Amino acid sequence: MRVLHWPLLLLMLICLGATAPGEVAIPPSPTQWATDTAGFLLPQTVSALDDRLREYEATTGHQVLLYVAPTTGTTPTEDWTVRAFAQWKVGRKGLDDGLILFVFSTDHKVRIEVGYGLEGVVTDAASAGIIRDMTAKLKAGQPDDAVTIGVGEILGTIGGEATPQRAAPATSATYAPESPGDADTNPVDVLIGVLIGLLVIVAVFVLIARIPRGSYISSGGGGGFGLLGLLSMGAGVAGGLGGGFSGGGGFSGGGGATGSW
Amino acid sequence: MNRGLIALGGLVVIVLIVVVGLSGTYNRLVTLDQAVQSQWAQVESVYQRRADLIPNLVATVQGAANFEKSTYVAVAEARAKVGQLNLGSAVPNDPAAFAKFTAAQDALSSALTHLLAVSENYPDLKASQNFLDLQSQLEGSENRIAVERMRFNQTAQAFNTARDTFPTVLVAGIFGSRFNEKAYFQSQPGAQNAPQVKF
Repeated sequence: MRVLHWPLLLLMLICLGATAPGEVAIPPSPTQWATDTAGFLLPQTVSALDDRLREYEATTGHQVLLYVAPTTGTTPTEDWTVRAFAQWKVGRKGLDDGLILFVFSTDHKVRIEVGYGLEGVVTDAASAGIIRDMTAKLKAGQPDDAVTIGVGEILGTIGGEATPQRAAPATSATYAPESPGDADTNPVDVLIGVLIGLLVIVAVFVLIARIPRGSYISSGGGGGFGLLGLLSMGAGVAGGLGGGFSGGGGFSGGGGATGSW
Repeated sequence: MNRGLIALGGLVVIVLIVVVGLSGTYNRLVTLDQAVQSQWAQVESVYQRRADLIPNLVATVQGAANFEKSTYVAVAEARAKVGQLNLGSAVPNDPAAFAKFTAAQDALSSALTHLLAVSENYPDLKASQNFLDLQSQLEGSENRIAVERMRFNQTAQAFNTARDTFPTVLVAGIFGSRFNEKAYFQSQPGAQNAPQVKF
């Protein structure tokens, strides 16, 4: 008896380890406007909403996405969605006018994550109202209706007014996340680096021209400091690259609402 | 060739290089410090957003029949304390001011949590559109606060890391309190008030 129990216990432990709900990493940026990774909606619903949201972005410039996933794991819903929003860089750079409607089918959670630029239009109260309408349908077991209604109300709230257009926004290339830090490289740092470099070169030339052959003492000292200067310049640029948080396009500040069913 | 002139020339170049290197480090600290200041402004604005909801919230629950008075009085008092905070602009540089700020805001958070919990007992209130809107705005505010606090900690960490790393720490030292280490928000409000165990 006792001998039999050990492998069973081991097996149970392995199963527990494998299925333990842990951190769910933020997936890479979706390539469509409507994505269902959970198989929660009918394929035709997803493709209809995808078309609708693509058209909406083409006419208004606002990037509204639908993302259905099973779960956020142990991470609180709002925490996960705000990070996904930032990582996917939804909305236009500088305008942050994107929005994502999240549905987590296993968690039974709905979340509207609103970009900074739309906070004035899609208010928390408006989001909560939309979510209430959605959860009513979700409770009734009509996920396709719920999501279609939700998207419709969101687009209705933002409205279809023409906004300043950029050339050809209606390709999936719109999502391509900019390489982090491009915007954050401090030109002053680079300028200082160039200045240091020039100074070192000038210093070396001056010293070579002036110093009689055989005497390298002061040129060695100058070189040492030049190296230090160049090193600190490198550190300056690296520091600029590291802080890529607030430079990219598409940020949300936790606006919107969450609901569960 | 005059050796004295050569030494002078070398010295001038060295001094120039040191000055340029220092100014690069200084400017980098200023840039990171500005990021912290602007993120702090974000934090203050989301807290202000929450505070602005409170008069309306208090008025709404007062209108509900027999609403437990002590709960909304506590919220109004906590709101008043937050309004009386006069800490100036350098709060992230000043651990004492930072602690006062978070203590007052956390007190308001817990008063609000209590009020919302109590409101569960008032079905009429819960059903009113005005209260539903206020509740969603409060939830949104709390979530915004969490997001901006997290981002503040990230910018503060970027600053502190740069500030305390080797060559920079010498430069930061030269300028005294101008480049003080930034304070962080605790991950869980109230965690510092853990109950004391007495034997």
